[in-house]
Amino acid sequence: MKSFLIRFVGLLAVLFGITLITFTISYFAPGDKAEAIAHARYPGDFGIAPEVLQGIREEFNLDASFFSQYTHWLADVLRGDFGVSYSSRTSVWVIFVDNLGETVTLTLTSLAIGLTAAFLLSAVAVRYPNTFWDRGAVIISSIGAAMPSYWLSLLLILGVSVHLGWLPAYGTGTFAHLILPAATLAFWVMASQTRLLRTFMLEAYDQPFIETLRLRGIPEREIFSRHVLRHSFVPALTMIGLDMASLLEGAIIVELTFARSGLGSLLAGAVLARDLPVVMFLVMFFATAYVVINSVIDGVQHICDPRNLNKAKTS
Amino acid sequence: MSLSQSIRLSDSPPADPLRQFSKRVGVATLVLLGLWSLALWLTPYQPAAADFLNRLAPPSAAHWAGTDHLGRDIATRLLYGAGWSLGLSLAISLTGFVVGTVVGILAARSGPAGDFAVMRVTDSFFAFPELIAAVTFAGLFGPSTTNLVIALMVVSWMKFARLARALTLSLGDSDFITQARLNGLSNGLILWRHLLPNILPSLLVLWTNSWSRTILSVSGLSFLGFGVQPPSAEWGAMLLDGKAYMQTAPHIMIFPGLAVLLAVMVINLTGDRLRDLMAGKT
Amino acid sequence: MQQNKPLISISNLQVSVGDKQLLSDVSFDLCEGEMLCIVGESGAGKSTLVKALQGMMPAHCDRFTYARSSTEVCGAIPAGLGLAQARWVMQDPLAALNPRQSLGRSIAESLHKENLPKDKLRKRVLSALDDVELSADFYDRLPSQVSLGQAQRACLARALIAQPKLIFFDEPLSALDALVQKKIAQRMESLRRATNTTYIAVTHDLGFAAAYADKVLLLREGAVSAYQSRMAFFANPQSDYAKDLVAAAQSLGALPEAAA
Repeated sequence: MKSFLIRFVGLLAVLFGITLITFTISYFAPGDKAEAIAHARYPGDFGIAPEVLQGIREEFNLDASFFSQYTHWLADVLRGDFGVSYSSRTSVWVIFVDNLGETVTLTLTSLAIGLTAAFLLSAVAVRYPNTFWDRGAVIISSIGAAMPSYWLSLLLILGVSVHLGWLPAYGTGTFAHLILPAATLAFWVMASQTRLLRTFMLEAYDQPFIETLRLRGIPEREIFSRHVLRHSFVPALTMIGLDMASLLEGAIIVELTFARSGLGSLLAGAVLARDLPVVMFLVMFFATAYVVINSVIDGVQHICDPRNLNKAKTS
Repeated sequence: MSLSQSIRLSDSPPADPLRQFSKRVGVATLVLLGLWSLALWLTPYQPAAADFLNRLAPPSAAHWAGTDHLGRDIATRLLYGAGWSLGLSLAISLTGFVVGTVVGILAARSGPAGDFAVMRVTDSFFAFPELIAAVTFAGLFGPSTTNLVIALMVVSWMKFARLARALTLSLGDSDFITQARLNGLSNGLILWRHLLPNILPSLLVLWTNSWSRTILSVSGLSFLGFGVQPPSAEWGAMLLDGKAYMQTAPHIMIFPGLAVLLAVMVINLTGDRLRDLMAGKT
Repeated sequence: MQQNKPLISISNLQVSVGDKQLLSDVSFDLCEGEMLCIVGESGAGKSTLVKALQGMMPAHCDRFTYARSSTEVCGAIPAGLGLAQARWVMQDPLAALNPRQSLGRSIAESLHKENLPKDKLRKRVLSALDDVELSADFYDRLPSQVSLGQAQRACLARALIAQPKLIFFDEPLSALDALVQKKIAQRMESLRRATNTTYIAVTHDLGFAAAYADKVLLLREGAVSAYQSRMAFFANPQSDYAKDLVAAAQSLGALPEAAA
């Protein structure tokens, strides 16, 4: 109970740190924020009157000190008010929700395909060690881990869209648009997870009780499905949590390369347009999601595996 | 007596595999560096020299990897690009290595309260995925090589800090460090002679991993327009150049991507080997 | 045979962590060149006693003298008191040696405080290696490049090189094979005779105690169950627990003839 409390305080401290870092970056970003807001409000108007700028500064509290601006902003965030986009003048939350779906679809599709493939590949590799399948799994996973996803995207576009003409290259919308991006990301998921799952499963096979089970005449198939899989599950879960960040990064690169709409494209567009409310929200969202997901996985892991209770103190 | 003598004679000291491996890697690195400088010296082309008569030429005897949309020799640009892609990411990951290791050791040595504080700061930074932090920073502060490097450095150290801290804590009460304390060695000496040599191999494995990831980040961000800007011959920036001519001259985008893939694979495999060696020892 | 100068004497040692009493009312005294074996089952407080004597645990006692110095202490034993000259040989030689440091350099660190010039230091280390029957080419080897017994010899050399008045042994043989155990035990014994060093050895091996100890201190649940000379302990144990223990060891044939 006490350790749970310490963890919770730690989580709050980290979330607080995230808001501070986010705000610091946006505070020190170059360029006149008032001007950025004015340009967004009055598009095409190049001679914005100084009085208008002054009005905006007062409206947005832009002349106040770092600390005062930060506390105001933090208070808004805590109330669930994430501000209004400079450029589209709609609520940041609405824009976020509009774009969330595409990214979640892409991520979950790739995760499902990639994990299934990874489980099959590593299971075959571990059941038939030192065969063609095992070596193939190792080679595929080391290529996949080193493969620049934007390059794979281009290769797929070149091969499948340009030469074969089977699927659309760029854009969002239909199921056909999803296939190539999801395949790119799924390949990475498969490669990185095969590598880990194979190691975890081999480690599980090294456990002394496996030999006991064999001597008792339990069939190999049952040993694998009931014991090895379960033993490799907990470490695999942790690694997937840690790799959430990489998965998100992969999704962003894939979205940008395939010109898909989604959070990645939203972030890149907002950054280039200096739409600070959108940028700050997205950055905070990614960081918070990462921390929360990992805390949850941490918790699940502890419930799954009481042996970790002692180790937890040192981690 | 005869027994111990025969033991002594029979096993000539087996070489330390870690030391052997680092020697081999060192030699290989020197050879590669030598070949690279030799190639830079031998190539008849300049990386930025346009030749409009030879635009988009496919690979040939004169241009081993063909030419790009300005008629520049791609093989030469790849050579120069290695300096950008590998060099920048090397500098970034080394910074993360050093800073993270120092932070991790300090956290482990600074008592529970200090440790808690330092590690929560580390966690806060760790929460920002590398690429998102870099896109945000480089985008807001203006896409440039400098801003890319700063952004990636800021988010490069946390993994090292976590690992260094964990290793330091686990070694802190080990028997040989107790012996060193009883022998009156200062904290600095214990750190230098006993702690660092034992935590460095694991950190080196992490560093190879971090270097290869950073190569992917640097070239990826440059490809997306947030990093090294064309006409610099960074591999990702070259890919960006090649994207527009993908249909007519696919070789422009094939070779830079292949270069990234190979470089990352070589570094990863080296790191894997190092990790296996350590696992075999402990 | 030996000048029986008293080396260490302690009475009513108490160790507690928090409100948990780990050791209570432990007293003993030893002369130079004597060997005390601390025996008892695991958890009885053997290792705690060794750590407390080295000032690594908060401890209190009524009286504590060491090395016929005038330092007589009542109350808390300060860290490292007078025992700075003591050395400690641990149970697992591979854990006690830095895996990335050559044996020679590990041994040399024992003389860290003496600030010797390099060539002199090397000579001392080589002669210490010779004392434990390791040849000069072990100087540059890493712990992973030698056998467990050779590593424990190096640890022994590391303790001896400082010419301490007192060496603590924490289960020095239990990680080793029987044959190696015997050779190292004999080496320990002959070096003790040669240098007149006092040994305090934690062990659960009654055979070892029966063969080499001058005195035996039996601990049980943090208290002294028996404190006798070797002969008395094995012939006429003080407590019922000691009697059972000796009888059990005898029935297993674990004791040498002389003690039985």
